[in-house]
Amino acid sequence: MLELSKLSKHFGGVRAVDSLDLKIEPGQIFGLIGPNGSGKSTTVNLITGLLGVTHGSIKLAGEEITNLPTHVRLETGIARTFQNIRLFGQLTVWQNLWVAENARAQRERSSFLSRWLGGERGARARITRALEFSGLADKADELAANLAFGEQRRLELARALAAEPKLLLLDEPAAGMNPEEIGALDDRIRQIRDSGITVLLIEHHMELIMAIADRIAVLNFGQKIAEGTPAEVQAHPAVREAYLGAAD
Amino acid sequence: MDFYLGLLQVMGVHTQLGLSAYVVLQTGQVSLAQAGFMAIGAYIAAMLTVLSGWPLIAALIAGALVAGLTACLVGFPALRVHGLMLVVATIAFTEIVRLFFFNFDYQIARGSLRVGPLGGEGFRQIRYFPENGWTTLHVAIFIWTVVALVMAALWWMDRSRAGAVLRAVGEDEIAAQSCGINLTAVKVSAMTAGGAIAGLAGGLYAHYTTHIEQSNFTILLATFAIAYPILGGLSSVFGTVAAVIFIQGFLVEGLRFLGDWRNLLFGALIVLVMNIRPSGLLDARTMATLRRLFSRKEH
Amino acid sequence: MLIVDLVQSIVDGLLFGATYALIGIGFTLVFGVMHKINMAYAAASVGAAYAALRLIALIGGPAWASLLIAAAAGGVFGLIIYWLCFRFIPLSNPLATLMSTVGMFLLAEEIIVHTTDGMPQNYPVVVRGILDMGEFMIRGDLVFVFVCALLAMVVLLYLLYRTKLGIATRAVSQQPVAAQLVGIRLNHINALTFIVTGMLGGFAGALIGSAVGLLSPLLVIPLTIKGLIVTVIGGLGSIPGAIIAGLLVGMAENVFQYFRGVTERDIYVMLLLFVFLVFRPGGIFSNTVKRD
Repeated sequence: MLELSKLSKHFGGVRAVDSLDLKIEPGQIFGLIGPNGSGKSTTVNLITGLLGVTHGSIKLAGEEITNLPTHVRLETGIARTFQNIRLFGQLTVWQNLWVAENARAQRERSSFLSRWLGGERGARARITRALEFSGLADKADELAANLAFGEQRRLELARALAAEPKLLLLDEPAAGMNPEEIGALDDRIRQIRDSGITVLLIEHHMELIMAIADRIAVLNFGQKIAEGTPAEVQAHPAVREAYLGAAD
Repeated sequence: MDFYLGLLQVMGVHTQLGLSAYVVLQTGQVSLAQAGFMAIGAYIAAMLTVLSGWPLIAALIAGALVAGLTACLVGFPALRVHGLMLVVATIAFTEIVRLFFFNFDYQIARGSLRVGPLGGEGFRQIRYFPENGWTTLHVAIFIWTVVALVMAALWWMDRSRAGAVLRAVGEDEIAAQSCGINLTAVKVSAMTAGGAIAGLAGGLYAHYTTHIEQSNFTILLATFAIAYPILGGLSSVFGTVAAVIFIQGFLVEGLRFLGDWRNLLFGALIVLVMNIRPSGLLDARTMATLRRLFSRKEH
Repeated sequence: MLIVDLVQSIVDGLLFGATYALIGIGFTLVFGVMHKINMAYAAASVGAAYAALRLIALIGGPAWASLLIAAAAGGVFGLIIYWLCFRFIPLSNPLATLMSTVGMFLLAEEIIVHTTDGMPQNYPVVVRGILDMGEFMIRGDLVFVFVCALLAMVVLLYLLYRTKLGIATRAVSQQPVAAQLVGIRLNHINALTFIVTGMLGGFAGALIGSAVGLLSPLLVIPLTIKGLIVTVIGGLGSIPGAIIAGLLVGMAENVFQYFRGVTERDIYVMLLLFVFLVFRPGGIFSNTVKRD
């Protein structure tokens, strides 16, 4: 589904991402971990197109997307959530989802006018369903900025899903959550995978990622230092070293 | 009576101008170019009715189209500059337009008179209304009909996905991009629409004042243009109208009580309002509350 | 076209451009520290010059004292602007602060017009004399203006780079949160920034008055526009940029005027701005410092 070949991003002398090779199969939940500053978020930004690539290529479902602008990549089927929630605070919950509908509608090539006016009943039905799914149906008219933190996270996820992506990038979705919420998140991600969406999960929360990921890649200083099943990664000496320092 | 009708006309045109800024401001672009677009619309519409004998509506539309096209051309380079630089660039644009018309002569002979724009002296004898038997009342009604139509269009857009998309871009460009929104298309469209609306305002203005000149379309006017939506709140077109009525009413009626000091207090008023209600009179919270009070779930 | 006349224009323009540089520095310093623009800056500067005139007329004094009084008045006005337009408005609302400075601008202009009945006021000449260099002349008053402006810049740069206040200011402009964490009081620094730039502006206003020979409310809008242009060309937040851009704009203005006359001059200055926006949007020295 997603193929990164020799992906590199240099900021002057700093190699934020250094010749990264990654292959994610469709229907997988793929985890990306690494200490702070290892280049995880940079990788996500490269995949979505917010940052330009210095070297290397990115392919989605076999298609080259390295040089496509961000909004077009959405149309080809990538969606993401943000580490620090980026909702449209001054828009209502409903409007936040409505805006994301755009990408999906664009892919279906509905006429420009009907897309622009957004009055299709289909859109309404879909948004209502999405709201019920995330438990936000009663807050549809609430300004996104007024939601509780957990609700905001749910809304961001719902918004990403509204675009009906093939690949979903989750950037530290568990940050700031209590164990109950993380349990719910675990179920949610599995549901998403079962509905046919491939998931790339960046997380610091080891329990979550070890429990849920099919495969994990570990980054350190922009390079991949290990890849494999959760068990393999946990046993890997380089990973231990990266997180805990060299063994005495 | 004529005095109040005149006030209505001024308010109408200023509302239109405010609405043109409203559209652009929603995408987060602070544009002081609206006065320039207004000037273009004014001169074109006036030249068409006076020099080429066009009917009014056609001339107004033509003026709006040319202004809109100019705005579209301005919109693309505007994408490359953000924040303060955009403010300065649009200030420069308005100044250039003003200076252009300061040096612009195009006169033709009409019988014994020469009509048409004449550089610093401006464009006199825009006499479409008097020549066609329009009274002040007719003109006022006409102006407000146009304004009402534009307001209705914008109000409807606000409630549509287009409106949500505009605001999303204005609020967080990165999130908007990541939701699949084409920033370029949205921002340039907003600029174009704003330009066309301003051009329409200019055409109306030229015809009811019958005499326009470059000094009418200053940066000060451009600041009024953005003042209305900012003071009125960017969440609703009604905020802009309210602000126009408030400000123009204050400036004119204030003459009675405050005499020469009203201009002074105008500046003070703006500072005061911005401190007390930074998001404007009708901001997002107020609008959401109003909406909840007045409407049932329409989805 | 005489080469001599052209050179004369260039020289005069450069000398006068130093005042634009000061105004540009004021705009850019406030922008660098608070990431906001103070639209009332030029108006306050001219206002300070007026205030100095008034005071001198009232209590008498040598012409050069007006420069210092204007600086003091400018500092006071700067603080007032900070209090009324920035201190209490949430900084996350850029439109509100922009609009409030616009309101302040209108207020300042109206006060100027009111207290002088709109009549231009003669500004006393501080330095007379012309340096005759054969074909050229170098106007003594312009040289004086240039030297004073240069002195002001030196003092400012000393303040910024050699004093604790200056270091604190630069810290705030680079990383406001971190600055607070090390005990720098944000409000104090912001207020002091406004006072210092206000003084600079008042000084510049007085210099402009002495160079032009009179003060008039009509100066305010063109000065605001030129100041903003200088700030943008020089690069937002860059003081060296503002200095060079100020001299550049002063010179360009005079040269355009020489070739195309006063009415078209400003068109070309605007076009100069656009050239920079297209080719060097980051300014002459693109600012490499990023805020958090």
